[in-house]
This record gives sequence, structure tokens and C-alpha cells, in this order.
Amino acid sequence: MSELRFDGKVVVITGAGAGLGRSHALFFGKRGAKVVVNDLGGTAHGQGQSSAAADKVVAEIKEAGGTAVANYDSVENGDKIVKTAIDAFGRIDVLVNNAGILRDVSFQKMTKDDWDLIMRVHVNGAFACSHAAWPYMRDQGYGRIIFTTSAAGIYGNFGQANYSAAKLGLVGFSNTLAIEGEKKNVRSNAIAPIAASRLTETVMPKDMLENLKPEYVTPLVGWLAHEECTENGGLFEVGAGFFGKLRWERTEGKTFKLGREITPEALRNAWEQVTDFGKATHPANITEALGPVMSNLSSKSKGGNEFIDVDAALGAELAEVRSRYDERDLALYALGVGAGKNPTDPNDLHVVFERNGDGFYALPTYGVVPALNALFKSMAEGKTAPGLNYGLDRVLHGEQYTELVRPLPPSAELVHKGRITDIFDKGKNAIVVMHIDSYDAQSGELLVKNDISILARGTGGWGGDRGPSADINVPPSRPPDAVVTEKTSESQALLYRLSGDWNPLHVDPEFASMFGFQKPILHGLCTFGFVGRAVVNAFSKGDPRLFKSIKVRFADSVFPGETLKIEMWKENDLRIIVRATVVEREKVCISNAAVELYAEIPKPKSKEAAKSAPAAVAAPKLDAATTFDAIGAYLGQHPELVKSVGNVYQFRLKNPDSAWVLDLKNGGGAVKAGTVDKADCTLDLSDADWLDMVSGKADPMKLFQSGKLKISGNVMASQKLDFLKKMDRSAVAAPATATPAPAAAATVTSAITFQAIGAYLSKNPDLVKGVGNVYQFRLKNPDSAWVLDLKNGGGSVKSGTIEKADCTLDLSDADWLDMVSGKADPMKLFQGGKLKISGNVMASQKLDFLKKIDRKEFEAALGAAPAASASAPFAAPAAGAKAPIIIAALKDRLTKNPALAKEVGAVIAFKVKDGPAFTADLASATPVIKDGADAKANTTITLSDDALAEFAKTGAAQTLYQHGDVRIDGSVKPVHRLGFFKQLV
Amino acid sequence: MGRKVNVIGVGMVKFQKPGASDGYEVMASGAIKEAMKDAGVDFKELEQAYAGYVFGDSTCGQRAVYAVGQTGIPVINVNNNCSTGSSALYLARQAIEGGLAECVLAVGFEQMQKGALASSWADRTNPLDKHVNVMNEQQGVNQAPFAAQMFGGAGREYRWKYDTKRETFAKIANKARQHAAKNPYALFREVLSVEQILASDEVFDPLTRFQCCPPTCGAAAAILCSDEFAKKKGLTNPVWIAAQTMTTDFPSSFEGQSMIKMIGYDMAKQAADKLYEKAGLGPKDVQVVELHDCFTTNELLTYEAIGLCPEGEAEKFIWDGDNTFGGKYVVNPSGGLLSKGHPLGATGLAQCTELVWHLRGTAGERQVPNAKVALQHNLGLGGACVMTMYRRN
Repeated sequence: MSELRFDGKVVVITGAGAGLGRSHALFFGKRGAKVVVNDLGGTAHGQGQSSAAADKVVAEIKEAGGTAVANYDSVENGDKIVKTAIDAFGRIDVLVNNAGILRDVSFQKMTKDDWDLIMRVHVNGAFACSHAAWPYMRDQGYGRIIFTTSAAGIYGNFGQANYSAAKLGLVGFSNTLAIEGEKKNVRSNAIAPIAASRLTETVMPKDMLENLKPEYVTPLVGWLAHEECTENGGLFEVGAGFFGKLRWERTEGKTFKLGREITPEALRNAWEQVTDFGKATHPANITEALGPVMSNLSSKSKGGNEFIDVDAALGAELAEVRSRYDERDLALYALGVGAGKNPTDPNDLHVVFERNGDGFYALPTYGVVPALNALFKSMAEGKTAPGLNYGLDRVLHGEQYTELVRPLPPSAELVHKGRITDIFDKGKNAIVVMHIDSYDAQSGELLVKNDISILARGTGGWGGDRGPSADINVPPSRPPDAVVTEKTSESQALLYRLSGDWNPLHVDPEFASMFGFQKPILHGLCTFGFVGRAVVNAFSKGDPRLFKSIKVRFADSVFPGETLKIEMWKENDLRIIVRATVVEREKVCISNAAVELYAEIPKPKSKEAAKSAPAAVAAPKLDAATTFDAIGAYLGQHPELVKSVGNVYQFRLKNPDSAWVLDLKNGGGAVKAGTVDKADCTLDLSDADWLDMVSGKADPMKLFQSGKLKISGNVMASQKLDFLKKMDRSAVAAPATATPAPAAAATVTSAITFQAIGAYLSKNPDLVKGVGNVYQFRLKNPDSAWVLDLKNGGGSVKSGTIEKADCTLDLSDADWLDMVSGKADPMKLFQGGKLKISGNVMASQKLDFLKKIDRKEFEAALGAAPAASASAPFAAPAAGAKAPIIIAALKDRLTKNPALAKEVGAVIAFKVKDGPAFTADLASATPVIKDGADAKANTTITLSDDALAEFAKTGAAQTLYQHGDVRIDGSVKPVHRLGFFKQLV
Repeated sequence: MGRKVNVIGVGMVKFQKPGASDGYEVMASGAIKEAMKDAGVDFKELEQAYAGYVFGDSTCGQRAVYAVGQTGIPVINVNNNCSTGSSALYLARQAIEGGLAECVLAVGFEQMQKGALASSWADRTNPLDKHVNVMNEQQGVNQAPFAAQMFGGAGREYRWKYDTKRETFAKIANKARQHAAKNPYALFREVLSVEQILASDEVFDPLTRFQCCPPTCGAAAAILCSDEFAKKKGLTNPVWIAAQTMTTDFPSSFEGQSMIKMIGYDMAKQAADKLYEKAGLGPKDVQVVELHDCFTTNELLTYEAIGLCPEGEAEKFIWDGDNTFGGKYVVNPSGGLLSKGHPLGATGLAQCTELVWHLRGTAGERQVPNAKVALQHNLGLGGACVMTMYRRN
């Protein structure tokens, strides 16, 4: 690395008689620069002057072989300082504005002199020096100016109002010089040092000052001053070995659309957003800083007023609501819209009698009811759409469009999702259109679409979009193809409201009169239901299932008891134009209406298709009660918990709130809802966190440390709740974790697993340091070899073999796949002989990190693993299968060479596990092999079929005994002499 | 030479099976209180405490001691596998002998979990890796608990060499049960016949289930002091430590291609040789021995390692009954680890407790007659072997 030199450069340092300035001066002197050491020689408080300080530093530089001259001018006479440089050396390359003084005093007591003096020395002084140096630097196309600012300026500091102002002033000064000098290679930066100096020695303890040497600051000045450094307009904090850069950070902020009044109230409401640094940006210059302002200049509000904020409301999603209905609701609705007046009419029975022989159907117009009820429910819970600030007293139902994707089932649980799709300014009034889709909660299938147009009276007039005004669904001039006249009952509204529309306008005379009606009016949607029924009866053979959609405009109100004349014009087979009139007052109450029919009854979607529905819709709920039931059941099976735990726990769950007592101290223990007076340990946490905790998704300790779990009483007693982890998760978590099975079983290969390990390694390079071994994997069937190098360089994974592995692992491909997918424990494979390890056995323990690899990476790929292992072409031979072959071979060998027995001279019985037993009588001259284990044998060897086979190959008797599943009863000695077993098979 | 070290107080709690015991701090404080009562020492008089345990978070020692008193004394936690308890004792002895303290406490405790010992730190070098490598080379591995494979494998090697009967090992367990039957502090006091022992589940030949010490929970404590302190307390003839040695593995453990060496035969042999040299007494002077019978095979090997019998003659030693009442020595009158139980941290101090009782003549039914010199052997894989000789005038 080349040294950063300043040969031939002229450096001016103000205030260089001591402290930081002196350190800088000595540095530059040593690095070849010609240095102008400026110091007035005054006190830290700006009093007096003397040439001694500067002279001493000059002498030091010269002593070290450097070049320097002194200057004793005040920085306010910066031109004279710069002149010293020009006179002595003919140029100036670097200016370090370092001189400074303090006049610390609380603002209360600060005098104008205190203020002015600081400004003069710091701001005016820096100006005078920089201004004098500037032309030289520009002309020579090279210059570096370093301003010395202070943390006091950046953050403020008690008693330093004057100093803070001056110091931050220098930052702004530097920032602009950076811009102006950029093109001429004159660069300017500011540093905020913390160092022991005359200015700090009075405010910091001595031992701290010792580590705050000026020499720890100078390297930054040296680098910023160097030609090689292109840093410009930067601000740095430095001291005691720390170097850091500062920048501005700005919140994402709140932008109000232009064109409407912006009030302090609006700002107050948005204050959290204004001050939230969650999505902060870091503008580096004015252009970037102006970004949000510039982009908002072209914004235009969609308008609104105190009732409706179109910007906020339009497009807003409504809170998701769930509801359910059943046959009773459908029948009640049907009665509410006039069905059942003739209880023997089969068309009416279809919709009111749930066990009707010909079938029970929902009236299609019911499709609007659950959606509207959902809206009411949200309103009752205080969840209103943003930007809509009018009350029910202004609301009238303007238009309604309801479409059934398929006939409604007799009962269902629904999920409603809505948003505001249109807002129109009709002058005096406004129209707000909400689109609500209702899904079957079980299948996720979309069942009903609704467009609800609300006429909000007296809320228009902001000059916004008026919306479409063309008349649609206008009845033709010919007479209607069908007419139904039906009288509503006096109690019609009272009956209809039981389906859920509780707007008091339809029941409360007082409320109705406030609205300007002489008495409560009938629900528009009730009339809507009458119309729907009429069309079904007239055009779809009484079968409501052929009904596709209905669109109406509510033109006028209807009073209960009035008579409706419903006229229908068949536009084609599948489309009917409708109009309804109040006979008594000859007022059209439903206009611009049409009903569409299906040619065939739509079928429910197939199950496959239904699966692709939004997952959120179908998620079943796990609740706290279930989990405590499960704990109770677990406790029943594990009564010993009471002894080992010995505490009473109080759980207080929030949102929804519930309280539970887990008594693992008294009697046989108990789990119950409620509270207890004396718990050893009380745990407060949210219901959701509790569910995560018991289902193993959240770690109690982490919840505790992050403040989500509060524990009072004996905190460490909570550790004993660890047994929760041992509970069968499926008991508590099955519903919550019912994730869909992997879509398709991909074929997994060990290659994929090693790829995954490679990916993990690249994300976790520290593994190399932590593990420090090279592993050789030799997989069988199919055979492959892999090297996992966690020792050299950044580590690597590759196929093939390597000569020097620390640890070699031999196992089947199938066992490997089981091992990495967590199905098989490496230690068990090892102990079970399925995994052979050579080299450093315990190095294999460090492969534990494999457990940390996201299982998903493997599991996604490993769907086929069980199949792979099942299809392994070699099936393990039946236990004991090799023994008979060995017995036969043994007989053969002894027959050929009876003398072998003489060497042994003992009766040896063999008991093969899960196989035959036999006895080799090698005590006599004529050796005999008999079936069964002779109880009188000198020696009995109990061993596995495999061990026997291995022995029949190697004849290594001691190895036979030292290895594995072998037992020797009686004398061991004869076994020593069984070497003739070698190459028996 | 340092100062004489006296054992003036001992105490222990009855060992329990995992899950059935009190918490470690309850057990340990119980043992400490017993030892204090035994010594007639007030907690305020204890200047230091050495607390041994293997399983538990850091500073369990303090928590255990705090249950008795909080005088701000130094508490040093000691962890040395199965020889943890005697390692704590070793440090306590050094403090007195070196003149650094007048009266100190050594306490050992363990709250174990069910099942065989296992490693808890898979992300770092296993301290037993060298040992396991030896085993892997010598005999491979199977499903048996690792400790049983190690000590059982050493037993196989011994049998191979000396043609030892399986029954010989079973006889050790049988003797342990006979001793334990008379020790109210032992966990397994039912006498088992050699046949019953051999018929129990096979673990790793020649080891069967009743030849393996099970995980146990318990605590024991000892109070050590200088002569001056003993005098001040008016204790005229306390038990004293004639010598104490500690060894760790030699290269032979790993290079000897021998399971017997790997499990610490040479550690024990060296510790014994040095001990006898220091004490100026040999095995012949000893009447009562508590040795580390974690498995019957290790007891047999230890007879030879510490010189109770010549190498290769352990079988005869056993069949001659020289390891029990009426023989040359009484080995493990407490029932040993096999019958009394083996709470790792407590074992070394429980051995000490037992021997002190015998030297005082207060061991009740199982009292070894005329016990003047007692020998203790406590071994941990990993490894460490601590041997102590106690005397009473």
C-alpha cells in the first residue's frame, strides 16, 4: 500500500499551535507538505496572544525534517494567513479551518459579545481564510478545504448556543463550497472530532481524554486532504478510533393532494405518518430533497368535502366480514318480500319450506342481504370506509345490482370482501358505489357479486365527476309482457327488517319524520325482492335457480301497505326489463331495472377449481380453548408433571381476552378457565402469540425478550413450561398448520440436496470457521460422491472425491435424503450401522447445521423421497439367511480337513439372531456340526447373521468380538482359534 | 509440603431416579446442611465453596449455596464429567493445604435426565472426539449407549486377553447389591442374584442392564479445614487426607489401540502410583475402597489399575471374595455407583462421605471393621481421574 504523501503541497492549518491543529500540522510536515502553522497564541477563551505556540510547532516540524512557517494572525484576517503561504511557498493546496474558541454560557446569561466573538472566530474566520484561499485553489484546479465542526452543532449542547450555531453554520458553508468547487476539483468536507484539546479538557474526565488523542482525528484530515480522495460535501464524526459519516434522513412523510384546504387538524391526524422513520429516505442534495414536493406539484385532488374525501375513499378496501345464513334466514327473507301469501302455491313453498318435496331454494334477491348485513355489521363495529364521513341519516339506497354466480345453497358461511368503486358528485347529493363479493367460506368459491349504490343526501357539490347519466333499461313503448300487482302488507317493513336491515328509517316513526317522511317507509330492497320474485314466477318457471342478475334504480319510496304494480318486458329469453309503480300514488318506485336469466342452472365449481380460491378464506380457526383442552388431556396422560413442575400458572390472553389457570402444583393438576388468586407465575400475552407459542411457531423466550410475553411472579418458573413443546403438536396445531400438501411430488436427488447445502453455505460463510472440516460423502444406490469442504477458503460443495477428508461418511442415497430432510437422525443411522463414518467420527457432529437449513428447500424437492427409498432395488435379505450357507460351508471345510478341529479343542455353539442355532463340536477328532445350540458347549457365541457372514469372510475373531452385536458366553479362549473361518464363504 | 487437611463434616441426600428428585438446589442445600451439622460449623465460617455439577446452566453452584446462606464468599463452579465431585474436593483440599483458607466447602450435585448420557452441544468440537475415534477404530459403534460401548468394549478386550467369564462381571453387580442392601442411602437395595443380573437386558456384552449405573439425581458435600481450625472447633481426631492425586489422559489413551487404555486405565494407574508414593502407604494398608464402578467392567479393570490385585488376576480376586467383607478389601461398601446411583457431580463427594463414615466407625450395618485407611477412586471420561487416601488415627 502506497503511503499518502503531500510532497510539494502547501497546507495551511489555523489554530495549529496546540491540540488538533498541532497534530494535523505535524502530520502534514512528516508527509512532505510545506506547512503554514497559524496560531494567534491566545487562550481557549480567545484572550491574549503570543507567537510562542506556533513557533514551537514549526520548530517541531523542522526538527523532524519538514518545512514549515509560522503565522500569528487572527483567522479573521484570513487573507494575511493565506498571504504567508503564498509569500513563503507560492501556493496553497489544503486549508484546514481548525481554529476555534469557546464562550460557554447558558443562553439565559449569554451576552451579545459572547455570541459575536464566537461567530467572528468560527464563521467569519473560516470565511476569511477560505475566501482568500479560494481563487488560488480554483486557478490551480486543486484544493481541499476541511472545516472543523462539532457534535455540539449537530446535536446541540447545553451552554453552547453560540458555538452550536457557528459550528453547524460551517457545515452549511462547507456543503455549498463543495458544490461550487466541484468542477474545479476544489473539495470541501466537515469533520466533527471528539478529541482531547484545550477546548475539551475542562469538560471530560482525564482518563477519557487520554484515549481521545488528537492523533486519532488527524488520519481523517489527512485522507480528506489528499488528492486521491474525491469525497466532497461530507460530514464525518471522528474520535478515539471511530470514523463515521453522517447524512440526512427524512421520513416518507405525508403528502396531501393539492387543490383542497390543508388544515392543522389534518396534519395532526397524519402526525404519526409525518414523523415515522420506518420508510425513510436519505436525500443527498437539494434536487433529491425536493423530490416529494416536485412530484406533488402535479397532484390533483379528486375533491371532496366534509362528508366525502374522494381521495381517501375511492378504491378503499372494506374490512372483510364473515357471516352465515341457513334455511330459516332464507324462509324469513322470502316472507319478508311477500312470499307465502298463498301457502299452497308451489312456487312460494319452494322458497319458504325447507323440507319441500320439490326442493327448497333461496330467493335469488337474497344475494344482497348478507353483503348488506356485512356492511351494517362493520358500521356497528365502528369500521367505516375511509373518507366517508356521513351518517345513516343521509343515506338512501340509490341503485342495486346483484349477480349470482350460481344459485345460493340453502345454508352457507360467507366471506365478504368489498371496496368503493365509484363516487359521483350529483350536485346536491353524491353517489357512492360499493362493490362487494361474497365467497363461500369453505370452498372459497365466489357466489354473489353486488354493486350497492348509496345516495348520500346533501353531500355532493365539490365539483367532481357526475358519473354516467344515460337512462338504461328503459321499458319499450309496447305494453308489458307480464304484469303482477301485489299489495304489500302494513307490517311488511317490520317483517323485512328481521332479515337484517335495521335502519330505523323503516321502523321508527320519529326517525322517519326527521328524514322528512310522514311514517316509516318500506325498504327499497324489500320492493327489490318483490320485483325479483315476480320475474322468477313469470319468466323462469318458478325456478329461482335460473336467475342470474338484477339491476334496479330506487326511484321513489314505498310505504308499507301500498300496492306494487310490476310490469315486465321480455327483451329476449334471458333478459327482462322491469318497472314497478306504487298504484295508490301512481309513482314509479323502481325504474331502469332489468333481470338476466341463465339458460341453464350453473353448477358449483369442481373441487379442484375451488382449491385455487383465496387461501385466507378457508383458513379454519384455532382458539385458545382448544389449546388448553389439549394441555388438559396431556396433563391427564402425564400426571408426573405436577411433581416435576410444582407451580400454578395464570395465563391472561388478550384480543380476544381470556384467562386460564394451569395448576401443576396441587393434587393431580388442573387446567381451567378463569383466574386464581395465588399463581406462582403469571403470563400475559396476546391470544395470537399464545397460539403461535403452543403450536411451536414462536419461542416463549423470544416472546418474553421482545416484550410480547410479560411474566410476573417467579419468572424462571415459566421455563418449566418447556413441556409444552413435548406435546403432540397435532393436538393443538393441526387446524392452524393445515397447509396444502406439495402440489406435485418432484423427483429428488441427492444433487438437489447438495445444491441446497451449497446455497446455504453461500449465505452462511461463517460455517467454514465454525466447522473447519472437509467431509467426503459416498452415497450408494444410486452411487454418487460429494465433497463438502467447510475448511478451506469460503468452503465449497462439489461432486466427486477428495484424497484427504477429515471425515468420510458412507450411507445409502435414501438414508441421506432422509437425513437431510430430518426424517432420520444421523446419530441413529450411525449407531444402526446404516451410516459408516471413518476418520474423525465426532467431526460428523458438526454437520448438525444441516438441521438449520430451511427444510422447505429440501422438502419441496423431497416429496418423492419415501418413494425413492421404497423403490430401492436391493431389498435387505431376510435375517438369518446367510447362516445356512455358512453352516454348509463349515461342514464342508471340516469334512475336508478334520484336523482343523484339533486346533480348537472345544465345543462352540452359535446362536444367530433371528436365524438358526448350531453347535460346532470341535473337541473330538471327528468334528461334528449339529443343529441347535448345545447347552454344554464350552463357548456360546450369540451374534447377528451379518456378523457371522463377516466372520466367515475375514476369520478375524477378535474383530468379530470387539465389533457390534456379539455376545460370548462361557470361555472366550476357543474363539481365538476360529481363524479357519477365513474365506469360508 | 502443605498443611494437613481434615475432613470434618460430610453429608449427602438419598439419591433418586430422574424426575423423582427435588430440584438440584434443594438437594445440594440439604447435603450442605448435613455436612455443616456434622462438622458443627456455621455457614458464616465457610470461606470458599467449590460446587461441582455437569448438567445445568452456569452458576448453579451459587444458586445451590445461596439456598443455605449468602455471605458473599467465593463460589467456584466445577465441571469435570463423572469426576466432577472429587475435582471440587481436589480444589477445596488445595485451598486448605496451600494455606489459602481455613475452612471450605466442597459440594457436588446433579439433577439428571432419563436415558443415556448425550452431548448437548452439536455445533462444536466434542470433547470426547478422540475417545470416540479410538472406539470407532477398535470396534465400530452400535445402538448401545456410548458409555456402555466404551466400558463394555474395554471389558471385551479384557475377556479376550484373560478369558474372563461373563459371570465374573455379574458377580461385581451382585456384590454391589449386597452392600447396598445395608446402605439406607443407596437407591437400588434389592439383592440380585448373578443369574438375575445375567438375565437382565443385554446392553453391550458382557454388560447387562444391572451392570450399568443408571442416571441418578443427588447431592453430597464435605467440609475441609486446617488443623488450627479443627483445634478451634475442639475436634480432636478428625479424618484427614493423607494424599490426593489427579491425572488426565496420557497419549496411551488414544494411541494405545486399546479400549482399556482409552477408558482411562493409565490415568488410574498413574494416579494410584503417585498417591501411594505421596501417602507413604500402599494398597495393602487400605481396608476400605470406594471406586468408580460406573460399569462392572470398569470396577474389574480398576482393581488392577490401582493395584488391589495384580494385572490379569481380577477374576480370581473376585471369586476369592477379596472385594467384600471378609476379604482383603471391602470395595464399594456403599453399593457403589451401580447401586447407590451416579449423579455425576455428587458421586465424588458421596464416595468421600461414605469413606469418612467408615473411618469414624459410624457406617452402621455396613461398617468395615477396623477401617483406618480408606481409598477413593473417581474417574471421568474426557478425562480426569482423582484418587484420595483418607486416614484417621
